[in-house]
Amino acid sequence: MKIAVAYKWAPNPQDAAVGADGTVDWGRAKASVSEYDPVAAELGRRLADATGAELVGISVGGPDVASPMARKSALSRGFDRAVVVADPALEGAGPTLTATVLAEVVKHVGDVDLVLTGDSSQDVGAQLVPAILAGALGWPALANVTAISGGAGDLVVERLQDSGSQVLHASGPVVLAAATDAVVPRVPGMKDILAAGKRPVEVLSLADVTPAAPVAATAVVATARPALAARKQHVIDGSDPVAAAAELVAALRADNVL
Amino acid sequence: MTTEAVEPDFDVIVVGAGVAGCVTAYRLAEAGRSVVLIERGEAPGSKNLSGGVLYSRVMEEVFPDFLTQAPVERRITRNYVQFLNGTSSVGIDYQDSRLSDPVNAVTVLRARLDAWLGERCEEAGVFLMPGVRVDEVLTEDGKVVGVRAGDDELRAHVVVAADGVNSFLARAAGLRPQEPTNHLALGVKAVVSLPAATIEERFHCAGDEGVAYAVVGDCTLGIGGGGFLYTNRDSISVGVVLRLDDLVAKGVPSSEVFEHFLTHPFVAPLLAGGEVSEYASHLVAEGGLDMVREITTDGMVVVGDAAGLTLNTGLTVRGMDLATASGIAAATGIEAALAAGDTSKAGLAGYRTALTASFAGQDMQTYAKAPAFLERERMYEQYGSLLADIMYGAFNHDLRPRRHLRDVAKRAFKRSPVRLRDLFSDGLAGVRAL
Repeated sequence: MKIAVAYKWAPNPQDAAVGADGTVDWGRAKASVSEYDPVAAELGRRLADATGAELVGISVGGPDVASPMARKSALSRGFDRAVVVADPALEGAGPTLTATVLAEVVKHVGDVDLVLTGDSSQDVGAQLVPAILAGALGWPALANVTAISGGAGDLVVERLQDSGSQVLHASGPVVLAAATDAVVPRVPGMKDILAAGKRPVEVLSLADVTPAAPVAATAVVATARPALAARKQHVIDGSDPVAAAAELVAALRADNVL
Repeated sequence: MTTEAVEPDFDVIVVGAGVAGCVTAYRLAEAGRSVVLIERGEAPGSKNLSGGVLYSRVMEEVFPDFLTQAPVERRITRNYVQFLNGTSSVGIDYQDSRLSDPVNAVTVLRARLDAWLGERCEEAGVFLMPGVRVDEVLTEDGKVVGVRAGDDELRAHVVVAADGVNSFLARAAGLRPQEPTNHLALGVKAVVSLPAATIEERFHCAGDEGVAYAVVGDCTLGIGGGGFLYTNRDSISVGVVLRLDDLVAKGVPSSEVFEHFLTHPFVAPLLAGGEVSEYASHLVAEGGLDMVREITTDGMVVVGDAAGLTLNTGLTVRGMDLATASGIAAATGIEAALAAGDTSKAGLAGYRTALTASFAGQDMQTYAKAPAFLERERMYEQYGSLLADIMYGAFNHDLRPRRHLRDVAKRAFKRSPVRLRDLFSDGLAGVRAL
């Protein structure tokens, strides 16, 4: 069995600055393996160890995705090897382009039985890539996955649904997006990072893969901040604590909070 | 030659990817040694705040293209020394085109500089290992043989402690005691974003020229230390450095001192309209030569801030150039020790020899008395007022008959708590220390 884990080398929102006018400045943000992707890597590593499968990290992005930092950071999560498309044309690529190129990488790797992804990316958070990737491959996609067992063509998948869970059986290749807390990912140690530096990484450019040309393009023309919730702005005079407490309780009762 | 129980993973382990660590690692990798550079932050520079004024010539010895390739902010061609009082300020404005060519000093933001240094190290073949916190040094028969982080151990012929002013590696290896508080200062600083054009207009600097201020007096509310301000490309770094012993003794919160400096009528206009993009505090080594103790032991050397290599001469505060020099010296010493197959303390002695012979070692010696001189209280309050009173007497035309400047100075001096013998004593000590 061959398992691919798609990860994103994405700017870290911790370092992003939000201006007074709501604009986000990513200028100081350093890239890292996107927050939820290590969960997918850990799920994949455990399944690979249980089934003797090969675990391949796959990623697409700008030239940085092939940098030594990015390679070590990704491979230290437990991949046996990695295949990345590093191309200036993929800098800041949106979900559709990212997913269609990822689909080509999956085909390039060949004989992949399962593609795992994180819940969403730390910089965009659209939660679209797994679905578009599955669509491009013609495979089913399941999100919010918490557990996987079985083997190629015979996978048992547990996913969250509403407040409960559901167990599904997949009889062929499938794209699974891990729930954010499906497993606790390992923190790479020195030996993991050392080993990561020695594992093979295949670096492709966009010319090496030929994703389907998009039929339509979208572009952001405007953004707006979420509207602030309307508040009652009911201020209680606190000079007499007993009266204030009584008024607060009455107000909460009137609104059916208590 | 010392026997190694286990084959080491690397020739050298460097802990800490700051200036000293990166320079040591880079030099050794260039010499063909296998080097791992371990950094606690997710990337070099990610744990670092603001930056500083870097006297850059020594960096050009390591990276000849430093000034054109590295992310330097501005060339410092103008230095202000400012005595700040509550409602007055007396300054010396020193501009000199000779500071521009060859370039003497540049401002840097460490988040950018350290990342650049890390990349150069990787290009040279250093195995960069970010996101790893070293828990302890491994010793065998009293010799340092490696480091442990979590469950993992790495071994090397030599470990380089480049883990900053609080170097716990140096402390763990017995090279450093707990520092007395008068050897340490608390730096509180902020980076204030402003458009490059505003900075150039406000500070009268063209292109990539920049300005550095050294401020003493009211900026620290009389606490030993000083204020600083320097221009980056599109931001200003501003802050205070407060001697820890005096700060504790005076019982004033450091944030209050910092706020006081930033809102001081002579400082606030320089920052007006800016937005604080970084704010932090950090310990600074201020002990001078007294703080530099043993810098080698069996299997280990200490470099940069971890070795106590910082200098405050009152006019200039230096750390990064000394860190660079110590990295160069350490690499020289380690390379010689590896070549000779003796990485014991005696084998590594070439580091201290090289450091002592370098400008860094000599400057530490030259300014050995500076910390004690700068502990003199009068520096921080009384001289600024005295100067301002003399200037006031000279410039304030209140329709009373003028006096000779000599008399003005004499009167101001009489009103000042500074006594003549103080002036002599401080003057003499200053000349000797600086």
